[in-house]
Amino acid sequence: MDTNSQPNLVLGIDTGGTYTDGVLLEYETRRVLAAQKSLTTKRDFSIGIESVIDGIHIEDPSAIRMVSISTTLATNAIAEGKGKRVALLLIGYDPDLIDKFKMAERFATPNYFFLDGGHDLYGREKKPLDLPGILAQVNEIKNRVDAIAVSAYFSPLNPEHEQRAYKAIASVCDLPVVLGHQLSTRLGSVERATTAALNASLLAMLQDFVIAVRRAMERRQIEAPLMVVRGDGTLMSDEFAARTPVETIHSGPAASAIGGRFLSRLDDALILDVGGTTTDIAIIEQGQVTVSEEGATVSDYKTSVKAANLLSIALGGDSHITWGHEKNVVIGPERVAPLAYLAWKHPIVKQQLKALSMRTWSQATPDSLEYWFLLREPQESQTKSQRERDLVEFLQDRPRPVPEILKHLGVLHVAQAGSSELMRQEVIGKAGLTSTDLMHIEGRYEVWDTEAAAYAWKVFCQYQFRDQEELRGEVWSQMSEMILHAALTFLSKKPLELRDRQRSLEGADDDMGRWFFYNSLYQAHPHLETSIRLRRPIIGIGAPAGIFLPSVAKALHTELILPEHHEVANAVGAIAGSVMVEEELLIYPKLSRDGLEVFGYYVQAHDVRHEFEELSAALAHARELSQERALGAALRSGADKPEVTIEEETDGLDTYRIRAKAIGNPRLMR
Amino acid sequence: MEWERVDTKRAYEQIRERITTLELEPGSVINEQLLAEELEMGLAPVREALKLLVHDNLVVITPRHGLYVSDVNAPDLEQLSELRLSLEGLSARLAAQRATEDDIVILEALRQEQAGTPADDRRRLFDIDHKFHQAVARAAHNKYMADSLERLFGLSQRLWYLALPELGFLPTAVEQHLDLVQAIKNGDGDEAERIMRAHVGEFYAQVREVL
Repeated sequence: MDTNSQPNLVLGIDTGGTYTDGVLLEYETRRVLAAQKSLTTKRDFSIGIESVIDGIHIEDPSAIRMVSISTTLATNAIAEGKGKRVALLLIGYDPDLIDKFKMAERFATPNYFFLDGGHDLYGREKKPLDLPGILAQVNEIKNRVDAIAVSAYFSPLNPEHEQRAYKAIASVCDLPVVLGHQLSTRLGSVERATTAALNASLLAMLQDFVIAVRRAMERRQIEAPLMVVRGDGTLMSDEFAARTPVETIHSGPAASAIGGRFLSRLDDALILDVGGTTTDIAIIEQGQVTVSEEGATVSDYKTSVKAANLLSIALGGDSHITWGHEKNVVIGPERVAPLAYLAWKHPIVKQQLKALSMRTWSQATPDSLEYWFLLREPQESQTKSQRERDLVEFLQDRPRPVPEILKHLGVLHVAQAGSSELMRQEVIGKAGLTSTDLMHIEGRYEVWDTEAAAYAWKVFCQYQFRDQEELRGEVWSQMSEMILHAALTFLSKKPLELRDRQRSLEGADDDMGRWFFYNSLYQAHPHLETSIRLRRPIIGIGAPAGIFLPSVAKALHTELILPEHHEVANAVGAIAGSVMVEEELLIYPKLSRDGLEVFGYYVQAHDVRHEFEELSAALAHARELSQERALGAALRSGADKPEVTIEEETDGLDTYRIRAKAIGNPRLMR
Repeated sequence: MEWERVDTKRAYEQIRERITTLELEPGSVINEQLLAEELEMGLAPVREALKLLVHDNLVVITPRHGLYVSDVNAPDLEQLSELRLSLEGLSARLAAQRATEDDIVILEALRQEQAGTPADDRRRLFDIDHKFHQAVARAAHNKYMADSLERLFGLSQRLWYLALPELGFLPTAVEQHLDLVQAIKNGDGDEAERIMRAHVGEFYAQVREVL
């Protein structure tokens, strides 16, 4: 059928914490035609996305058959508590139990209310639904929240109360309403409530995001389906994503893993994605990202969302390098703009750093290498205090080092400078020494001002009375130590506190785990040789991967694979995933009130329920129905010739789960 | 209506709101480009949304003059009122016959909200009134009727906004709603229809007077 020779082009975009990456790819041949990086603009993601699209030379926008995007938007919003205000209605939950186990703080919203109703383990009504109570509560709170989430006890088995509540709430107010059973078929009632509340709080944000991407596409005359990467690396339609934003939790790291696999063509590997802000670790097994079955956790909120099993640590190419109390080198967790970048944008910074490097060490203070700069003009509402206005005014013409700022404002400590809110709102940015600067010095990555980086590093070393090369080596080994430690604790699922390397190696520390770790890295023991070996290769992703990871791979006695275009593998991953839809049906017995007699079996499919006399008939029907529903949903989500597989599971309580998974490549527009 | 795209849905809702609240005046020409910029949306979703609004009779398309907001005039008012009067009456009658317990809880909640809303908060009262009519239509359990009434309501809403500066809120409405809920509760179709017709009739009589 496909007789025209025009290649199918697809555009993949990843909006990470630091960079927004984009790739233009020829779909069938996996050839990367163009790649582009630009800085992520957290205040409005569409700016970064548009500049990535602008940076990629697209000859014929009409040749683009699909755009797919992964985003940390949801994860970040949860971590920073920036979602919308939500009222959570808990139907049939036991307030005493929630109180006793202090579970309320896990709900992700302070506005939660207990109402009568709910079902039991066999889908029988536990208590009649208190609909008047629900409507009174909604009426009372509706002007103080932006969305409503409803979770009823055992709603996956019988969603009747959630559905009735939905109809009633939607009749009396215009707020979006999210129901627990639509998001998860799992029975954990607290996780379901949390998931519903988070989903409700993120709805508006994801909608705005999808609309912003659509607008950016339209401006470049790209008319193609838009897909969004889920937390397990599979794809969903933009419309589906706008309704279920919680599904995008961990979307970015999952896309990296998928992209690494796609580019390397390896089916089993450890994925290490070194970004600007974080390093993410994931596993590829038999060609799939391994998924955490118990549900993803974000910022201590346990959800029932299936997402990639991963560990994220605050260490990246732009992690701030500073010194601690005992002049020890500290890397991260904060991310700053590299000095090489700042000096490249503002040559005066280089002059200042040069002058500083000529002085004796005693005149430099640790914060001399930290600069603040204006990212954009604040709106009037953003500078509330006089100090904030003074600060913005002082940075108006150029970046300034911290000591100069403190002196100008007449304060002694950065905490008094009135900067925290302005930094959070991305009005003021922070720059400092980073490993990106060190890479410039070593000539391994030179896009900005290498000389400025060299001056800064000289100051840093002078202050420490250390040799420049030696100290650089120490920074690198400390970084690989941190990554190695993360990989080890992630894979072994065992904690290990890193401290006192020297004491441990000298035998002054009794902890065996720590000694084993350090000895395997530095081989300090005269008689005992220890080593840690990873059984599969490491796929390195991200621009700094080639610098940080060789030593990690060496220490793990495995091969490091850096596929071509690994620096934008996350964006590749956004288009490399399959479209997947899962339909899970529950089958459980219909019991008499006293629970002694089985009258038949229910098949519960999200919103509809069928009743059967025989279990075999119920199972047969469930298989057929789940297959049909998964297939239909996959086609609607943009899957091309999806294939359906069915899994069955029983939890021993006479309850069966029939799960149909429909997977297919994304359907490209023709 | 099944939505294909998130942005089309948003554009539709925002433009519809602008038309029914007269922010986009009846008879005025619609500039798609300008509208898209104002809404901070792409051109494609705005076009799609306008097509849907043509279907709603809120936007008119002419081959020569392009798109404009449909006009409101006296003959329109008469045609609308006679149709709405009978449909709303039927809706109330069916609701009395078919309302479930949940339907009655909803009607009761809306009635109470209305009773507790200050008389000068006219927009909110109008919004509650709208929801009340929707709830009655839903209690009638006939989705085609609910859809038809919703369209007619959208058209009538503009009349209300036109008349708003001179229109007092109908003080009888609160009472009428109370009686109507009672009639529906009692399953008294005749009475429900009678009250609803009187309620809607009064609204059009007032608008007619103002216009």
